Amino acid sequence: MASVVEPARAAAGAPASRSFLGSLLRTPSGAVGLVVVAVLVLAALLAAWIAPYDPLRMAAGPRLAPPSWAHWFGTDDFGRDVFSRIVYGARLTLQIGVIAVGISLTSGLLLGLVAGYASGWTERVLMRLVDVLFSFTEIVIALACLAILGIGLTNAMIAIGIASIPFYARITHSVVLVERNKPYFEAAVAGGAGHLRLIFRHLLPNVVPTLIVVGTLGVSTAVLAAAGLSFLGLGAQPPQPEWGFMLSSSRDLISRAPWMMIFPGVAIAITVLGFNLLGDGVREVLDPRQRQR
Amino acid sequence: MLRYIAQRLAAAAVTIWVATVAVTLLIHAVPGDPVRIMYAKFQSTPEQLEAVRTSLGLDQPIHVQYAMYLGRLFEGDLGRTIVGDQPVLDVLLARFPATLTLAVASLAIAILVGMPLGFLAAYKRGSWIDIGAMLVAIVGVSMPHFWLGLLLLFFFALQLGWLPVAGSGIANLVLPALTLGLANAAVLARLTRSAMIDIFDQDFVRTAQAKGLPKTVVLYRHALRAGLVPIVSMLGLQFAYLMGGAIVVENVFAWNGVGRLAIEAVFARDYPLIQGFILFFASIVVIVSVIIDVLYAFLDPRIRYG
Amino acid sequence: MSDSLLEVQDLDVVFGAGRHRQVAVEGLSYTLGKGETLAIVGESGSGKSVSSLALLGLLPRSARIERGTARFAGEDLLGLPEEQLRRLRGDRLTMIFQEPMTSLNPVLTIGRQLTEGLVEHRGIAQAAAEARAGEMIELVGLGDPARRLAQYPHELSGGMRQRVMIAMAMASEPDILIADEPTTALDVTVQAQILDLMRDLKARFGTSIILITHDMGVVAEMADRVVVMHRGRKVEEGAVGEVFARPREAYTRNLLAAVPRLGAYARTTAPRIVVDRPAEVDRRAPVVRARGLRKRFAGRSWFGRGDAGVLALDDVALDLYPGETLALVGESGSGKSTAGRAVLRLLEVDAGEIEVDGVELRGLGRAGLRRARGHMQMIFQDPFASLNPRLTVGALVAEPMQIHGIARGRELDDRIEALFHRVGLESDHIRRYPHEFSGGQRQRVAIARALGVGPKLIVADEPTSALDGAVQAQVLELLLELQQSLGLAYLFISHDMAVVEEVSHRVAVMQRGRIVETGPRPVVLNDPRHVYTRALLAAVPVADPTRRRGVLPRLDTATMPRGPLTEIAPGHLVAAGAEAA
Repeated sequence: MASVVEPARAAAGAPASRSFLGSLLRTPSGAVGLVVVAVLVLAALLAAWIAPYDPLRMAAGPRLAPPSWAHWFGTDDFGRDVFSRIVYGARLTLQIGVIAVGISLTSGLLLGLVAGYASGWTERVLMRLVDVLFSFTEIVIALACLAILGIGLTNAMIAIGIASIPFYARITHSVVLVERNKPYFEAAVAGGAGHLRLIFRHLLPNVVPTLIVVGTLGVSTAVLAAAGLSFLGLGAQPPQPEWGFMLSSSRDLISRAPWMMIFPGVAIAITVLGFNLLGDGVREVLDPRQRQR
Repeated sequence: MLRYIAQRLAAAAVTIWVATVAVTLLIHAVPGDPVRIMYAKFQSTPEQLEAVRTSLGLDQPIHVQYAMYLGRLFEGDLGRTIVGDQPVLDVLLARFPATLTLAVASLAIAILVGMPLGFLAAYKRGSWIDIGAMLVAIVGVSMPHFWLGLLLLFFFALQLGWLPVAGSGIANLVLPALTLGLANAAVLARLTRSAMIDIFDQDFVRTAQAKGLPKTVVLYRHALRAGLVPIVSMLGLQFAYLMGGAIVVENVFAWNGVGRLAIEAVFARDYPLIQGFILFFASIVVIVSVIIDVLYAFLDPRIRYG
Repeated sequence: MSDSLLEVQDLDVVFGAGRHRQVAVEGLSYTLGKGETLAIVGESGSGKSVSSLALLGLLPRSARIERGTARFAGEDLLGLPEEQLRRLRGDRLTMIFQEPMTSLNPVLTIGRQLTEGLVEHRGIAQAAAEARAGEMIELVGLGDPARRLAQYPHELSGGMRQRVMIAMAMASEPDILIADEPTTALDVTVQAQILDLMRDLKARFGTSIILITHDMGVVAEMADRVVVMHRGRKVEEGAVGEVFARPREAYTRNLLAAVPRLGAYARTTAPRIVVDRPAEVDRRAPVVRARGLRKRFAGRSWFGRGDAGVLALDDVALDLYPGETLALVGESGSGKSTAGRAVLRLLEVDAGEIEVDGVELRGLGRAGLRRARGHMQMIFQDPFASLNPRLTVGALVAEPMQIHGIARGRELDDRIEALFHRVGLESDHIRRYPHEFSGGQRQRVAIARALGVGPKLIVADEPTSALDGAVQAQVLELLLELQQSLGLAYLFISHDMAVVEEVSHRVAVMQRGRIVETGPRPVVLNDPRHVYTRALLAAVPVADPTRRRGVLPRLDTATMPRGPLTEIAPGHLVAAGAEAA
């Protein structure tokens, strides 16, 4: 028998052994994103200890007071502490991200996986429908959902979740198509693997990395969308300390109390930026194309 | 080529058809009695509500309703609004020019700012120009439209007093168009950059270099021409995204377009108007994407002569 | 050499920096004489391409030249300012690349791409450049220049595109043509035509050629001198006859020894025996019996011209007996892979019968098919893609055995370990992931996976064509050994005639979906009767500079006999009408 004389080629860069977190922290965007998201999560968990005031308490200070030592981000037109409201707002923001992405990711994954695996007519009909919904655009689907469900923050989260299903379904489907045509899949078929084994043992693990990236980036889209709906008055309702809603109530006071407009906006932008950067970082770690470079 | 266009048109027709079905089903998905919800704000007797139900056809089986809806649709009748009792189509058409103006102006800004920026970043990949441009772009992508709008409003209208706060004239267009345009420019810059980086890595660009062509010829004739194909193919999506953003931006600047109308309709639970809006909006997006697909076909000889 | 045209001295090319610094080329020196063809050979990653890209200033962004000179026409190419180098590039020094499918710009016409270099370097008018481009189109054998110049790349085949690339590179009558694996992506008959063309043009224009290749056959056929590279360094240099006849370095000797040579087994009637008591071919009952297979792939109905699609299989019949290897040979698009998949029912044929081990596969339901798959397995071409990257190789080898309920628990572990040893892997490999292995090792894993269920039939689709020379030889050896000790039947799909000669008992030649000739291997390869078989054999480069490859018969697919097979000798069948040729 011939001996194995060739050297193992890939031994140098074995990524599986290195921890995911370690690799993520090595990418600039991943590190920054991770820090931002960690701060957000901490703020949400420890809001009661961090926030100096009750976010709903009126007249915690004078009305429309500019930023000061007592009220870091100033107060709003009801005398509520803007900083405390922003800290508590982190809770709502995380909820939005998790619930909306949870809905769209699981449904989209299932749809895309089934369509991609089934092929033939099932695939054509499902994906045709997804394409149609996709071209309605997310905001219109969300508005339609809100028209049905009625306005409110919970309904807004659900509406945003539903609105993004076509997007996740398309991405999953396109990844499944690529994976399904790789020889390892055919090898599993040739080995006699059944439907469940093919889907869950072979396809799913190869689809998940892409969806982790897309899901992370999706949190930022969801947060933006929810803030937008709340800004329009369709999401959060008074007195919820929701950032988008806070911005909308600052509109008529921009010249008198610009801090009411600036800080919630900064909070949204930094949160969204954080998830965008984290998503980019995760992509760099998981995407084999990047890994080769 | 003709076959390709025919196929795109057929797909667009399917989409619009599905929209009509969805819109008919919408009112039935409402938990509770839609008529009661719609007229909650008015003092109406049960007899009056029953009359509305009959006039909307809601007492008929669903397929009959759909047939009625389609029948009226072909006559250009989208029903009448609950608030103000006006023809839905007229209301939408009256507001549409404002939205179209905003969309076109914003798209122009997005293309003129975003594409060159993305192209430059891709060309100078890894340099400080690239890093700077992409930093600006990712911040731009992360900023909510309405916040950007408020900031611009704060600085240009309130602090500097250069531009009006709200209204519908040309001067009033500047801020909303800038808001929507810059936000989309950030997205487009990122897309352009990644598309161009893919192109720069292609073998044919290396071939062009190996021919000893000047850098500008390699860039414009070879890379950019080929890069336009994937970039234009993304423009349809970009336009849809932009239209979505327009709904929010119109509300920031009190710009009297269909977006503002839609939000008012959702608030008022004006279902005929919501239905009309969805159908109208979906049709606009679909028609624009067909136009872009055709443009795309002209740029790509593989389709043009396919 | 006194009249040297190019002198490369002490070239170092480096990728990355700091921790990621990797030396791709180190201290490379060579000279290229006027009118000479210099072959730079080496396996993948030897630095052969990088060293040539460096000459033209075309290195990828992450690479840079650290040291060295390249004297050409009194100047140092490596020290020239970009603008001056650009004036030489594409005019005095030109280049063609490996991938003709992607090397031309898809949105510009052939005419535009052919003329722009001439206009740029010669400053001639567009009309004059077009006239010259037309001449070149004729010269590279494409014909109908007016039409060609107006076409876009996607309208041409890979071979035609490579002709366009050559026309482009030769239009300025350059001093030096650098050809980077110019025929590697092409079918063997097309390769032969392209090599002939390059030789003709070189003689006509007196161009010197730097030929970068891994294929010793191409070297023997084309080169005057050879530079052998290994891991960035020059191992050996010399006249081609000298290097082939008396290689000085062990590396070169191994490289040459690993080249499968067509004709090496011409006098044998069966594959060489590698075990003590080999299983014989058992001709009593076939493992595979297929008749009348037919498969049409729908055309790209998207915006297709309503074409009827491609007939990938057209009335294909084959028999395969235990212990026997039937080689399915043909070029890309011949339908050989489709036939292999059809036999395993990995795709559904439109018509025909397939019996494996006496069971008609097309009538089977899900459970029956799964049972049948316990007797038949497949080995794929690309060992990098055929192993699921998210599972350990142990889990991959275990999977078919679990599916078919062959073993579980402790017994399964023991079997896996035994299989690993059987194919030359070690026990501590079992828990690793595919990316931790080299190509050859992965192919061993794939073989172990196929063996686990104790199959009677293995379909091997180009199992060695993704592997470098020496590794390829080892995997072939393993396949022979397994067949002879286990009595396996192989349906061996390959485009490489030398490999086919080494491993097969019988051969079936496929051309555009039909078998045009089939019979015992010695008969078909030594005495081919069909014009297409002859062309395939004549096109194979001979890895011996003292011998010339055969003359390629004129291939006219329109008049090529493709009728029903008729038996001209026992077991030797040829498409009707071919005998006259």
